[in-house]
Amino acid sequence: MEDPTRRMLQQLIRRIPTQMLKTSLSRWGRLDAEQLDFTQRKVVWTECLLALCEESGLGVKHITELEMIYVIDNPNRRLWTAYQLLEPEDDARSVELTHFKEQFKAHLAELNRHVSVKIKKHTDEEVWIRIAWGDSFSRPNHLKPTYVVCYLQTPYVFVNNLTSVQKPLLSQALILATKYSSIKDANLSGRKLTGIRDLLMKQFRQVFPSKHLQPLGENKQINSNPQIGCEQEEQSENRLQMACEAFGGGMLPELQTATYKLETKLKDNTNKIMTEREQPFRCVVTFASTNILESLRHSAMTGIASTPVTPLLSSITQKGRNHFVISDKGPGRLPQTPHPTK
Amino acid sequence: MERQSSGVLVQRRSRQSYRSYVGSHLGFTPGFTQRRLTTSRVAAARGRRGARAPGGRGAAEASPAQLALLAREWQLSYVTPLYRFRHDQLRSYARQLGAFLAAETRRGEAAEAGLQDGLKVSITLVAGMAQTEEDPDAVFIQMHSKRQFAAPDDAPRLAWSGWLACVGGDADYLRSLPPDFVCLPLLGASGAEGLTALVKAWFRRTFDCCFGPLEINSVNLQWLAALWTDCHAQTSIQQLKLVWSLPVEPPLQVTYTVHPQDAWELWKSVRQPGERGEEEVGEEDGSIAIEEVARFIKGLQSHFYRHFRVELSAEQLTQVSTALGAAKHSGRLKISNSSYMITTLTLLTECALLKMPI
Repeated sequence: MEDPTRRMLQQLIRRIPTQMLKTSLSRWGRLDAEQLDFTQRKVVWTECLLALCEESGLGVKHITELEMIYVIDNPNRRLWTAYQLLEPEDDARSVELTHFKEQFKAHLAELNRHVSVKIKKHTDEEVWIRIAWGDSFSRPNHLKPTYVVCYLQTPYVFVNNLTSVQKPLLSQALILATKYSSIKDANLSGRKLTGIRDLLMKQFRQVFPSKHLQPLGENKQINSNPQIGCEQEEQSENRLQMACEAFGGGMLPELQTATYKLETKLKDNTNKIMTEREQPFRCVVTFASTNILESLRHSAMTGIASTPVTPLLSSITQKGRNHFVISDKGPGRLPQTPHPTK
Repeated sequence: MERQSSGVLVQRRSRQSYRSYVGSHLGFTPGFTQRRLTTSRVAAARGRRGARAPGGRGAAEASPAQLALLAREWQLSYVTPLYRFRHDQLRSYARQLGAFLAAETRRGEAAEAGLQDGLKVSITLVAGMAQTEEDPDAVFIQMHSKRQFAAPDDAPRLAWSGWLACVGGDADYLRSLPPDFVCLPLLGASGAEGLTALVKAWFRRTFDCCFGPLEINSVNLQWLAALWTDCHAQTSIQQLKLVWSLPVEPPLQVTYTVHPQDAWELWKSVRQPGERGEEEVGEEDGSIAIEEVARFIKGLQSHFYRHFRVELSAEQLTQVSTALGAAKHSGRLKISNSSYMITTLTLLTECALLKMPI
């Protein structure tokens, strides 16, 4: 086995926890994993695995397969950034997989000769692309691949591990293969692919304002105390309703952060100097939690965040974004044109 | 007596040229501690202001031992006064501590502590880490491990380090101690927790003292935020970062990062010119009042509220950091710039003294 291949396999095994690797190896099916003794230390059976691969004459191609199996099965272990394709051509909706595959590979190869692309259909609409990049002087680097997940019938694309040099190449190939005119940063990123996908595609229970309070599941738990006064009950029901209108009902998509870059004036009745200052007060506010939408909904329900919820916070679900730049310019408090943020 | 000691104090201040004097935040301390600590420290500090030598600020010359205190994160604890601790016995203490650690290793109890055979212990004085004549000198403890296969010119690896200090401790309290006691109320430890526990055990046994965790509460973190921001005119703070934690399910963390210039301008705007004379604002002014700190934080919080409708004042501030240093509610401290070390430690010494059981 060549050295780079060996290194690639070693790195891959190092990154994957043993339990998960066992599943991936059996799904891979290239060698008999029964021969490996997983009770031993990882270093020991890694050597055996390398020997087995060498015996079976497996190369880079097969190892990328194993990597893809693992990544597709565990999509929630890396940082994903969402992009949105814009202005579809008339036949964009009818692009099917074989055509997309051909076109994407051809266009990318045209832009960069030293590139290795692997495309795999996961479900009917979900297509996974693995790209190993090289440049004019080097062969594709399989140690740092870019992963792209496309949903062919939607304008959304999710990307992991993309450098600014590679970004225009990938954008170009994607636009041409999907028959759209342009692509933009959707200002949404997170560690859980399913979370950002569900948020962007509105795959969660949205609650709409109504005069009659909807019977929401959570209601009963909160009002179980008979001592709570009628008025208080009404208030908390109100808060619950508004919290769900802002962030959604039931299970919410998992998102880890929301970042606001504030460039607004500091207005404070008690501070004349700052209020009169021309320049905006520059700061960045980040909300972080294992599931910020759940956390924010809970804070609105319990009154930690006042209701009605500020449009800044409800924009996360309403606009499907978690990066915002807020300035005083333009009507309303939210910027009308999404500033690209990074 | 009082006059005499303040005369000495002024001399020291001009020589060491540290700056901001930590004002009174004792409005927040529980009633029982007030017997021990004077409540009018701002007034006292301002009273002395006139006597301060001009140009007595800027970067203080840091000794090598002081430099060793930088760029490492310390876990803070409070320490009750040490019985029969003598600064001229440090070498002997180092030997005793080394022997104690070796004995623990042999008993096998230290295996978990990551303790290897042959730790070389040194205990030294740290010069200049004091604010008043009454402050006992700070002590620096280092443990180097000898590697078995080290080349002759290999530097020994630092396995554990820690310091005990009293910076600007309350004079009345220090004077009230019986003569056999030395008060070094602040311990900073960096290294394996098992080793910290052993060092504490040895101190407890040898000097009949006790240790407890020193948490830095919201009020003190606010003080540090203000103290560091106040330094921005001399040394850039890069950014002012404050972290709050909100008790919701799942727990929510709010990180508020402010541009250094804007933070400083907000700070300047909340300073009270009336009480100290116009000419001194933004110039050389040693004291910070609790009201100024409160207004500064309130300014930040109300800006936040206007956007997010969340009242941060009701939540717990858990972390403050700037380029000059970082402090966490859990009692972790990092000081990155020697110029403001004394100021920061003065505040923390006060916290430690307040935290101690009487």
